[in-house]
Amino acid sequence: MNGIRRDFPLLGANPQLVYLDSACTSLKPAQVIDAETSYYTQLGACGGRSSHALGRKTTEKTEEARENVARFVGAEASGLVWTRNTTEGLNMVASGLDYSKRRKVVTSVMEHHAVLLPFMKLRDRGQIRLEIVGCESDGTVSAGRWAQAIDRETALVVTNSGTNTTGWKGNAREVAKIAHDSGALICIDGAQGVAHGRTDFRRDDFDFLCFSGHKMLGPTGIGALVSKRQLLDRLEPLMSGGGTVKAVSGGKIDPMNDQTRFEAGVQHYGGILGLAAACDYLKKIGMEKVEAHEKTLGMALRRELEAVDAVIYGPADAAGHSALYSFNLKGKPHDLALMLDRQGIAVRSGFFCAQPALEALGANDGAVRASCYVYNTVDEVNKFGEALRKLRQLY
Amino acid sequence: MVLCFIAFFVFAVMSIFSAKYRPLAKEGFRCVFRTLMMKPCDTGLDERIKADVVSAVLKYSPPLAKVINGHFAALSWLFVIITLASFAYTAVGVYNFYVYGNCDGPQAIGACILNDITGDYGRFSEPTDLIPPTALDGMAAGNASANVTIIEFGCFTCPYTKKAESTMKTLLQRYNGTIYYVFKPFPLPNHPYSQDAARAVLCAYRQNKSWELQDEIFRQQQVCSEEGALALKPLAQNAGLDMAAFNRCFDNNETGAELERYVQEGRDAHIYATPTFFINGKPLVGPKPIEEFEKAIAEAGG
Ligand SMILES: Cc1ncc(COP(=O)(O)O)c(C=O)c1O
Repeated sequence: MNGIRRDFPLLGANPQLVYLDSACTSLKPAQVIDAETSYYTQLGACGGRSSHALGRKTTEKTEEARENVARFVGAEASGLVWTRNTTEGLNMVASGLDYSKRRKVVTSVMEHHAVLLPFMKLRDRGQIRLEIVGCESDGTVSAGRWAQAIDRETALVVTNSGTNTTGWKGNAREVAKIAHDSGALICIDGAQGVAHGRTDFRRDDFDFLCFSGHKMLGPTGIGALVSKRQLLDRLEPLMSGGGTVKAVSGGKIDPMNDQTRFEAGVQHYGGILGLAAACDYLKKIGMEKVEAHEKTLGMALRRELEAVDAVIYGPADAAGHSALYSFNLKGKPHDLALMLDRQGIAVRSGFFCAQPALEALGANDGAVRASCYVYNTVDEVNKFGEALRKLRQLY
Repeated sequence: MVLCFIAFFVFAVMSIFSAKYRPLAKEGFRCVFRTLMMKPCDTGLDERIKADVVSAVLKYSPPLAKVINGHFAALSWLFVIITLASFAYTAVGVYNFYVYGNCDGPQAIGACILNDITGDYGRFSEPTDLIPPTALDGMAAGNASANVTIIEFGCFTCPYTKKAESTMKTLLQRYNGTIYYVFKPFPLPNHPYSQDAARAVLCAYRQNKSWELQDEIFRQQQVCSEEGALALKPLAQNAGLDMAAFNRCFDNNETGAELERYVQEGRDAHIYATPTFFINGKPLVGPKPIEEFEKAIAEAGG
């Protein structure tokens, strides 16, 4: 991990900054920024439409990127749809599936609002029956709970491969198996999981996987929905428009039969190139190394939090967490975050767009969250601990 | 929260000079507006101010930071009230200065306070406590048969008595022949050498030169308060007194009993500060602006 920090212009410009909010969005290395800019400086044209040289080159480069990003998560390029972010992917799945034969959707209380809200909306419209599985007191959701809820009525199961509240990496693979045993589909919210560990779409037998570029060193405004090829055909697109049809003639639509059916309008080509560069960057480090580094940071975080007697949410041991901890000291979470900010430490406070999850954990007034990534160091975690010790004197 | 009121005001003033503060002023305004509508402030401005204050104090004194952090709401109320009160006082002061020429307004004490804890007089401290004297003896000037009489109780080592002197001189000129002015010495025991100065002026009055010595004393008031007789004698000389007669009068305390009578008269009038004036009986305490005197003279039929 040596030398990585030098790749991040924002860290260079703010040498005193301790950025512990990567679960919200990560910082971007120069390689990603350059790749994104390269679209504007070297390509600049429409992909998949224009046949001039720059248009062809744009198509070529973005299709290369599709291969690249799909490979990064162990999936086929033909099943990858560009989205704006995880949220868009999840909405595409929620609104695109057919619930006429099986009406039930199962998810858990530990999910992000990006998962819960689209399905709650369908429930409120009477389109689905929604079962929200509860959690243990440490925020984990056991396979047993899932097995109990998933039945032959279940069309879809949605869960995450890493939470943004406790840092628990979850049991997505197991849940996928339980879903398939009942003939249900599995959709994975990979917003955290893809960024922080190796994801193997095929091996884990997922049906849908949604993730965002911006949490994995990539640009904002780009993400992907990865799907089994044959399932894409069963999905109704959320949006239609330019680029989604072969022809519109005689009052009839002849849709594309590949994933471009879902990619309405001119795409975020710069973002696509940036996301591919982020995958390259992470691959070069190696996701195993990323996980090992985060394990070290996670243990350091836990040590610092225990030293100030913080209330820690989530599994009782460091093994259950990634380098992400939600906690509370005596003061209001928001006050703590603001005062940490005054000491140059960026953390998040509140409900992290997962209010039901925090309430289930007993954090009814929210919590403070510190989350690390590849560029963080144990030294920084120590600084964070020092700041916490100072703040503890206030209570 | 209440702090927004101050923040809005401060940032509004600062944004006159620097655009940097305009968004903050806007935020403060929004906050003030919401607070007035009984809605919580939703911009987070107060929370950020709290974090700034507590973090800054935390660097120097964790215990103090703890107190501020724990009682921030109460402290900000206190701060707001103090600030608003000081705004109000400033506004009143500015108004008074504009209208009355001093920041304290028409009832301003701006006078030397009698601090005689042995007598009964500490009980009196309001113009309404004052009882106009009836006797007209004293060091007089002007027309004895005029309609308006101004009686003054003054102390020669009191800076406020000194300040009023020029007003009296102006009035005597301006109302030439239509007012009668009587000065009764009322040396304050808490002013050093006030007794000596009063006796000296009474001695000068015997030579009809009380104004002259009075002028000298006021000019050198500081020295008189420090040195007493040592300073008074050269001043008597400057005032052109017959020094042999003066020395006799002063050294033998010839005016002591007379002074005691004036003091008693002042006590009977419940004088609690110098200078105190009675304009046909209507009291004015302190060296009031000349307009006040003119008003009182007009009311008295002058
Ligand atoms: C677990 C999880 N799911 C979904 C999301 C939503 O991601 P995005 O805002 O990029 O759509 C996030 C991001 O906060 C997340 O942490």
